[in-house]
Amino acid sequence: MTVSAIADSVIDELIAILGPEGVLTSKPARYNRTRVPTPFPVHRWAEYVPDLAVLPRTAEQVSEVVKLANRHRIPLTPRAGGTGLNDGALPLKRGIVVDVKLMNQVKEVDLVDRTVTVGPGINMLKLNEQLRKHNVMFPDDPASYPCSLVGGRIGTSGWSLIGGRYGHTRDLVISFQMVLPTGEIIEVGDGGGRKIRKSSTGFQLKHLFMGHQGTLGIVTEATLELVPRPEVEFAAFFHYPSYTAAWESTGALAKSGLASLGGVVLFDEWKLRYLRRDDEAYIPRPDHVKAVVATALYGTRDEVEPAARRIMRIGRESGGTYLGDEISAGDWASRHDRYATPLHGRLRTGEVVPMSWHCEDASINYSQLPAVMEKWHAIADRYIQKTGILDDWGMFAYTNGAYKPWGDYLTEIDIGIWEQQMNEDHWRDWVNCKREIAQVALDHGGSITACHGATREGDAELVPIEMGGGFDVMMRIKAALDPNNIMNPGKYELDRAYGITESPFR
Amino acid sequence: MIGFRLGAQKPPDAKRVTDDVVMRFDHVYEVDPAKMTIIEQQAMPAWDTMRIVDSRWEHLDWMHDHWADHVLTAEELGMGGKEPDG
Repeated sequence: MTVSAIADSVIDELIAILGPEGVLTSKPARYNRTRVPTPFPVHRWAEYVPDLAVLPRTAEQVSEVVKLANRHRIPLTPRAGGTGLNDGALPLKRGIVVDVKLMNQVKEVDLVDRTVTVGPGINMLKLNEQLRKHNVMFPDDPASYPCSLVGGRIGTSGWSLIGGRYGHTRDLVISFQMVLPTGEIIEVGDGGGRKIRKSSTGFQLKHLFMGHQGTLGIVTEATLELVPRPEVEFAAFFHYPSYTAAWESTGALAKSGLASLGGVVLFDEWKLRYLRRDDEAYIPRPDHVKAVVATALYGTRDEVEPAARRIMRIGRESGGTYLGDEISAGDWASRHDRYATPLHGRLRTGEVVPMSWHCEDASINYSQLPAVMEKWHAIADRYIQKTGILDDWGMFAYTNGAYKPWGDYLTEIDIGIWEQQMNEDHWRDWVNCKREIAQVALDHGGSITACHGATREGDAELVPIEMGGGFDVMMRIKAALDPNNIMNPGKYELDRAYGITESPFR
Repeated sequence: MIGFRLGAQKPPDAKRVTDDVVMRFDHVYEVDPAKMTIIEQQAMPAWDTMRIVDSRWEHLDWMHDHWADHVLTAEELGMGGKEPDG
């Protein structure tokens, strides 16, 4: 079945740009590009189905599609892997989804200046398979490592599990090519020079277009950092008799000053309860285990071996009990792929039901973690009791700073949602739950998101509050670059820049 | 090659681990079937459970190899580690 609200004459124009194989109007093609993995108001699915999807292969084709969208005032939503957890790739206003998956080529490997240039549709795991023969890596390592794509990593300004050692997406993407909302193709970086890491020329446009969630254009090529492939990995997991002991140990480990430290991860008691009952349980079951801290090191053997000795010493001296090599190495390997976890949860009766995974993230300073943890669980508990379709899967806190991983933490609470039972009342409750969780982050001097973005209802309304006067600057930039509001309209509350005051979510 | 064996099809009886979890094979934890009435538990032959467990380890080994040439352990450093502390 082929259904589209876009005129046939416009479809003909798109076919002229992309060829017939690059324009998808079928129901499966459109419905499959409607949502992202995070729980969704399935009772309102039909409201978000795009009118059609396109599969460009070149920047010039993307540019022509963008110009066409301006001529006909058709909303565009860029989509890479569609693995984001905050609806960046969800077409709130329908229109055209620009799916960049066919732009997945490795265009250049430069082993002299240590860069690789790729299309935005390539996946990091597949890229690193190709890079291995050169003994180099692109070490951007999200929980969606096997399935997310470079274009989405730039669109969300992603966070990397080993960012303490190698930096996060913004640090690992040197420059990129953008199609602006009016169709011009430009290069953005730290100043000019496609392979230049540091410049003082002009505004820092790379950061402006990093994390724009598709509201300021479409990335069509990226030049990425290459690092030596690690000779050695070392992971160490410790357990603790209390959250406080684990939190203090986390601080000691994160402040170790070891350059090879990829990151430190704090598992709270709710997370351990969940792992014990419903996940692949690498964590020992004794009741006295109340929290776990994980660390990992990467680099040459010469640097990792002494660093590993120090990590073992700090972990044990700060109250940790080492969980052993099998658990440490095995669980750490599973951290690179958190989209493959079994997705079921429990009702309050203990009954098993299928659940979708929601991960609510924030950036929280180390000093605030214990208080935020208590408040988030209290909020979740209240909504679990009210709705009966939620389950608290616990919290992680991950080191969040690049190269200096001690001051703030990517803090997340995982909540299971029995999506098939969702109705409008449940959805409103869930959005209110999310908003309360995000508000706690602001109340404690944090940011409402460390890596997912804030384009979903329940977060988006708080963006102007968090950004303060900066939100006016965001609106002016948006209106200047996208005069017809065609690029991912409705996201980040940026419709306000066009005098639109009604919520894009109803 | 060993062909079909009935004993390889029927999983051992479950031992209770916690109120929520049972175990039929060492370190292979299962949701208590009594807690699965809304979604019924699938009957699974033993060989299929072991296939999934083996695949999991294969996947983790693959992931280690993907990220580094060698996985260093505490045991290799002479700092314990073969078994958990305590």
